Amino acid sequence: MTPMVHPESEQYIIIAEHLNKIYPGSIKALDDFTVKVKKGEVVVVIGPSGSGKSTFLRCLNGLEEVDSGQIIVDNIPLDDNEKHRLEIRREVGMVFQAFNLFPHMTVLENINLAQQLVRKASRKEATAVTRSLLEKVGVANKADSYPEALSGGQQQRVAIARALALMPKVMLFDEATSALDPEMIGEVLDVMRDLAAEGMTMVVVTHEMGFAREVSDRVVFMEDGRIVEAGDTEAFFSAPQQERTNDFLRQIL
Amino acid sequence: MKPSRSRKQIYRDVIGFLAIACLSVWLVMRGSDNIAYSWHWKQVPRYLFQIYDGEFIAGPLLLGLGVTLQITVVSLFLAGFFGLVTALLRMSASPVGRLIAWIYLEVIRNTPLLVQIFFLYFVMAPILDIGRFATAVLALSLFEGAYASEIIRAGITSISKGQWEAAHSLGLSHYDTYRRVILPQAIRRILPPLTSQAISLIKDSALVSTIAVYDLTMEGRTIIAETFMTFEIWFTVAAIYLFITLTLSGFVSFLEKYFPQRA
Repeated sequence: MTPMVHPESEQYIIIAEHLNKIYPGSIKALDDFTVKVKKGEVVVVIGPSGSGKSTFLRCLNGLEEVDSGQIIVDNIPLDDNEKHRLEIRREVGMVFQAFNLFPHMTVLENINLAQQLVRKASRKEATAVTRSLLEKVGVANKADSYPEALSGGQQQRVAIARALALMPKVMLFDEATSALDPEMIGEVLDVMRDLAAEGMTMVVVTHEMGFAREVSDRVVFMEDGRIVEAGDTEAFFSAPQQERTNDFLRQIL
Repeated sequence: MKPSRSRKQIYRDVIGFLAIACLSVWLVMRGSDNIAYSWHWKQVPRYLFQIYDGEFIAGPLLLGLGVTLQITVVSLFLAGFFGLVTALLRMSASPVGRLIAWIYLEVIRNTPLLVQIFFLYFVMAPILDIGRFATAVLALSLFEGAYASEIIRAGITSISKGQWEAAHSLGLSHYDTYRRVILPQAIRRILPPLTSQAISLIKDSALVSTIAVYDLTMEGRTIIAETFMTFEIWFTVAAIYLFITLTLSGFVSFLEKYFPQRA
């Protein structure tokens, strides 16, 4: 039994405590920000643009560094140890607003890449996993296409499959549907809904309130790097406690 | 797509081209008449190659071409290596690495290649105990490497941040990210400017004749000193350089066509 690096590591798969981050010459992106996520939970993070939602997400897998505070994912502390950082990234899949597929590789190669390099799978093993993932996200017929030949919705579904290729325990979605044409948002949300139903732990930054309300267990509303209000999804939407929350919800609903 | 041109325009272009070509030939002929130059084109082929008893024997110009090709091919690889290492150093987190790269770039790009060749040949070669050929290769690859590094750096920085983030979020190491995600995309983008640099290298290699490396240019000079066929030999030498550089351009165009850039 590995020793717990944090007393609550047993309980929470993500522990983010007292995070602070200031971008040079700007306001605080994260201001004593604390969020903990249980295994299997779907947490939606909402807030006005520039409130620090994306920064929080990107700090969780070490794409950005916090100035102070502690991040622990699945009992692995995110610290100066490069090994820990890589371990956490294996356990955390991330989906970006701009898809960020590798344009010089086919869809199949995009999804095979990390399996072969990080998990040291053979090409054959990787391809088998990739095919089943593509089946799951509904783009099995595009395996040998290059990303440029795919629609935005298809690209994002491939990106989700790619993020799932290392069998992560946590998935982060950074405004995954914001760059999509309206008619393609649904197909991506469907994939995310399926994932949530399978019990995947998810942290989702989104403006899709319908999706948030339907799929998430908990909502975190943040502004200026701080939590304004956080709570169970149903209570959050039906009876928000803060005036600011009310204003925000009125604006976007 | 180039704009389509009418038949009339094409005729006009062809006539224009022929006129300029005739004028150039006429100028050369007039110049050679003025200095009472006597042409000996028939003598030229044997400096390229001869055939004795069905056996092919390379003449001095072809031997020189061989040396030029050896120097440029080795220098190309070394220049690519220096260029890549310098580009990575300049973008590295290490201040010392960045400083070394910066000094190298500034020194090389702000001094004449000829001076660098002399410096390496007269100062460094005796110290390092290296021959003329190695000195020539070192000088050329250091020189072109500096320019290549700026091209490579521009190519790498042109790759969007999202590509790094996607690769990193998949748990790829920095090395794997460079090798599999960033460089393959960057190389495709920098192929055209890098080709121009390779063509410069071929042309600049003529300067190594100054340290008595028997390359194409040096062989040409030697033949001229013996035969006084100045015009014929320089025309021939120029044609050979032109042939190599155009072949290289053609090859790269072919590569670009078969490995299309994907956005």
